[in-house]
Amino acid sequence: MSPRLSETLRYILLVSIAVILLTPIYWLIMSSLRPADHIFRFSGNFSIETLIPFAFTLDNYSQALQSNVGRALLNSLFVSLTTVICGVFVNSLAGFAFAVFDFRFKKLLFVLILLSFMMPFESIVIPLYTLMRTIGWTDTYAALIMPEVAGGLIIFLFYQFFRGIPREIYEAARMDGANWWQIYYKMTMPLSGPTIATASLMIFIHQWDAFFWPLVATSSERLAVIQVAIARNMTMEQANWGAFFASASLAVLVAMVPFFWLQRHYVKIVITNADR
Amino acid sequence: MFRHPWAPYAFIAPAFLGLFVFRFIPIGLSGFGSVFSENLRGDMVFVGLKNYAELMEDPSFWNTMRVTLIFNLIINPFQICCALALAMLVRRPSRFIDVFRLGFIMPMTVSIALTSIIWSILLDPTLGPVNGLLRWAGFQSQPFFRSEHQALQTLMLVATWKGAGYWMIFLLSGLLAIPKEIDDSALIDGATGIRKFISITLPLMKRPLAFVLVADTAANFLLFAPVYIITNGGPNGATQLLMFEAYQAAFAYINHGRSMAISTIILGVVLVIAMFELRLFKPAGEDQS
Amino acid sequence: MTISRRNLIKSSALGSLALAMPNIVRAQQTTLKVVWMGWPDNQVLPLMAEFEKRNPTIKLALERMPFQQIFQALEIRLNARNGDPDIFIVDSPLTASYASRGHLMELDSLIDKKRFAPSAIAAASFDGKIYSAPFGSSMQVLYYNKDMFKAAGVAPPSADPASRWTWEQLVEAGKKMAKPAENIWGFTFEQQERPYQLLPMGQSLGGTALSPDGFKASSYIDGPAFVEGFTFMQKMYTESKISPPGQFDTALTPELFGAGKCAMMVAGTFVFDTLKTKFPNLDFGVAPHPAFAKGKPVTPTGAWHFGVNARTQQKAAASQFVTDMLSDDMNVLWYKLRPYVPTLNAVWEKEAASFTSDLWKIAKYDVQNTAVPRPATPGFREYEDIVRVALRDIQSGANAQQILTAAAQKIDREIAKYKG
Repeated sequence: MSPRLSETLRYILLVSIAVILLTPIYWLIMSSLRPADHIFRFSGNFSIETLIPFAFTLDNYSQALQSNVGRALLNSLFVSLTTVICGVFVNSLAGFAFAVFDFRFKKLLFVLILLSFMMPFESIVIPLYTLMRTIGWTDTYAALIMPEVAGGLIIFLFYQFFRGIPREIYEAARMDGANWWQIYYKMTMPLSGPTIATASLMIFIHQWDAFFWPLVATSSERLAVIQVAIARNMTMEQANWGAFFASASLAVLVAMVPFFWLQRHYVKIVITNADR
Repeated sequence: MFRHPWAPYAFIAPAFLGLFVFRFIPIGLSGFGSVFSENLRGDMVFVGLKNYAELMEDPSFWNTMRVTLIFNLIINPFQICCALALAMLVRRPSRFIDVFRLGFIMPMTVSIALTSIIWSILLDPTLGPVNGLLRWAGFQSQPFFRSEHQALQTLMLVATWKGAGYWMIFLLSGLLAIPKEIDDSALIDGATGIRKFISITLPLMKRPLAFVLVADTAANFLLFAPVYIITNGGPNGATQLLMFEAYQAAFAYINHGRSMAISTIILGVVLVIAMFELRLFKPAGEDQS
Repeated sequence: MTISRRNLIKSSALGSLALAMPNIVRAQQTTLKVVWMGWPDNQVLPLMAEFEKRNPTIKLALERMPFQQIFQALEIRLNARNGDPDIFIVDSPLTASYASRGHLMELDSLIDKKRFAPSAIAAASFDGKIYSAPFGSSMQVLYYNKDMFKAAGVAPPSADPASRWTWEQLVEAGKKMAKPAENIWGFTFEQQERPYQLLPMGQSLGGTALSPDGFKASSYIDGPAFVEGFTFMQKMYTESKISPPGQFDTALTPELFGAGKCAMMVAGTFVFDTLKTKFPNLDFGVAPHPAFAKGKPVTPTGAWHFGVNARTQQKAAASQFVTDMLSDDMNVLWYKLRPYVPTLNAVWEKEAASFTSDLWKIAKYDVQNTAVPRPATPGFREYEDIVRVALRDIQSGANAQQILTAAAQKIDREIAKYKG
C-alpha cells in the first residue's frame, strides 16, 4: 500500500469514527434548540429535519437557566476543581511511595488500594452517609469533596506511571543530597505532566458526573450540583424534555472546557518529555 | 527500590487517612452487614453465611452471575481493543489530528445517566432516530434494548461509546511516551506493520495496558446505570448484571444483607481478576508488587 | 384553617409561656426539613411560602429531589434512623412499606377522615391507622387524536362515563388507524409496564391483585382474570399490533401521542395540561378509561402523599405542617399550582367552576365510582418491580400464565420478610 493511499484510508476511518462518536452529542444539542412540539416530531421517521432543526428556539435554555442551572454549574465546577487539586496532590504522594519505596505491609496496603475502587459505591453509601452525619458534614461542600479526594484508582494510575521513571535518576539525586520530598516535587512531578493531566481529567469527570451521592449527602438548594439540576427536569407526570436537553447540553459543553485546555497542553508536555 | 524508615509512610499517610475514613470503614461495615439480616425495624440479627448460602441456592443469582461474566469477558477486551485502535489511529501527528483526538474523548463528558437516556431514545423502537434511519433506508427496525437477543450486545456498544475514548487517553499517553529512537531503530531493522506492533510497541505498553485493563474491569463490573434506566434487567433477564442485582436488593427489595453479600462477591471476583491481570502484564524483569 | 383539639391545647400552652417570656419565645424558630418531589419551583415554592407566612415560627428547609432516584436517596436518609428529614413526600402505595419499618408517624389524631375521598384514606392507611397525609390523587382517562379519528372515519368515544368504550371497541378502532410499518400506532398506555396503569385490566374482569392481608400474590395476580386481561393486552402488541412494543419510557409516550403518531392513549389527568401547552396544534379529546365488555369499569388511582418521620424532634411543628397543609384553602392553592385530582372533598366544592370540563367530569365520576387503589402491602416496592418485569415480558410475547405464576412466587418469597 502506498503511503498516500494508507493516509487516505486513515482519514476515512478517523472521520467515520468521529461521526459515530459525536452524532449522539450533536443530536442532544440540536434537540435542545428545538421547540417543545418539535423535539420528537421528526425523530422516529427520518428526514432532513431529523438532523437539522428548521424551527429554532432558545426557550429551553432560558427555562433551564431560570431553574438555577447556573448556580448548579458553578457548584459542580467548584467541587470538581477543588477535588482535582487536592486529589492530584494526595494521590500522587501515595503513588510515589509505592513506586519508589520498599516498606513493610506494602503488598497488603496495595491490595487495599485496589479494593477501595472495586467496591461498588452504591454498597457503601448507607454506612458512608451515617458516618457523614456523625461527623456533622452532611449538607456541606466538604461532604461532596472530601470522600472523593483520596482515590485508589488515581493512586494506582500514578503508581503505574511513576514506576516507569528510571531508578538511576533517583540515585543521582540522592547523591546530590536531595531529600525525598524534594525529589517528589522537583523531579518526579515535573516529569509526569501527562499523568497529572490524565489524573486530573479522571477526577474532574468523576465529580462532574456525581449524582447519587450529592443527592443523598446535601439537601440545600445552594449546594445542588449540575446532575441533580438536570434530573429535576424529569418528573413522573411532566417531563420537560426541552429544559432537560438544554441543561444537559450546558453540562456537556462546560465539561469540555478542561479537555480543550488539556488538548493544548497535553501534546506539548508529552513532546517536551520525549525530547528529554 | 529504596528504603527509608519513615518517608514512605509519610507519603501515603494523607491518602490512607482519606481512604480509611471514606472507604475502608464503610467497606468494613458493608462486609460486616453481609453476615447480618436486618429486620424491619432496623435491628441487626447475626445470620452467619446465610445470605451467601441463599445466593448459592438461588438459580436467578447464577443466571445473573453468568450474564455478568459473559458481559465482562466480551466487553473488557473489546473496549480495550477499540481504545488501542483509536490511540494508534491518532498517534502520529498530522493535519487536524488534534481535532480527532479531542473528538474521540468527547463522549466521556456525557455522564453515564445521560448516556443511558440519550441512547435509550436514539435506539427507541418508535421514536428513535436510529430506527427512523433504518426504516428510511429500507431496513427492518430493530428492537435493540427490547430484545432478549440484542440487549446485552447493545449495552456493550453503548458502554464502549462512552468508554473507548476515555481509555484511549491512557494508551495514547503510553504510546507517545515511547522514545522516538526505538521506533526508528525498528524501522531500520525492517520491522513494519503488525509485526512491529506486536514485537516492539506492545511490550513497551505493558504498564498503561495493565492499568487500563484493571481499571476497565472494575468499571464494567460496577456498571449498572444503563440497566437501571433502560432495561431493568430484562428482557427476560438478558441484562441482569450483578451490580444491578445488588442495587435492586438494597433499594427496591430492602434486603441489605443480600445486597451486601452480592457486593462482597463482586469485590472478590474483581480483585481476583485484577491480580491475575497485573501478573499477566508484569513488565519483564520487574519485581512483583 | 382547621385546628385540632390537641393543637389548640398546645398552642394555648405555648401562648401562656409566651406571655411569661415574650422575647425569648417569639425569637424561637423551628426549622422543619422537608423532602419534596422535584416539581418545578413555581409549583412548590408558593405553597411553602404560604405555610411559612401562616406560621412565622416555623421555617421550612425545603429540598426538591429529582424523581429518578428520590426513593433510593430517601431510603438512605431514613435508614440512618434519626429525625432527618422531618417531613417527606410519600408515593401513596409506599405508605405501608414505610409505616411497617417505623419510618412514619401515625396521623389519626390530625386527620378527619370524613373530609377525604374514601379511596384516599384507604391509600393512606396501614393496619387500620393513617400514616400518610393524602395530598393529591390521580385518575386515568382515554385521550384521543380527533384528526386521526376523522381521517380514518372512526366515530370517537363518548365522554359520558355511562357509555364508556370497551377494550374490544378500542382495539377495533385502533386497527383502523394503526400502521405499524409507518410507525403510526392505534393505542398506547402512558406507562406501558407499570402495575398502576395495567392492574385494572385484570381487576375489570374481577381479579384481585393481592390477597387482602397484603402478603400473598399466588392465585391472585396469576389468577384467571389477570391471565385473561394481560393476554388481551399482549395481543395489542403481538397480534393486532395497535400498540408500540418496547416503549417503556413514561416520558416518551405523551410525545408519541403529541407528535400525532398514536391515535389513543390512556394517561393521567395531568397529561392534559402538558399536551395543551407543548402541542398547541394538537386537536384531542378525552373519554373515560375503557373496561372489558363482560367486566366492570375499574380505574387506577393514588398519587403523592406526604408523611412525618416517626423520629422527628419537631413533633409539634410537624403536626402543624400536616393540619395546615390539609386545610381547605391550602389544598385549593395546591390544586391551583399543580392540578392533581383532589383528595379533599372541599376542593371539589370550592373549585366547582374549574371542574366543568369533560376531563374533570370524568375524573370526578371515576374517583368516586370506579377507582381502586394499588394493593396495600409493606412489600409494594418489590411487588411493583416484579410485576413490571413480568408485564414487559408478557408484552414481548411470553406466555402470560407462566410469567405471572413465576412472578407471583417471587413476590410471595420477597414479601414474606414483612410478616415479622
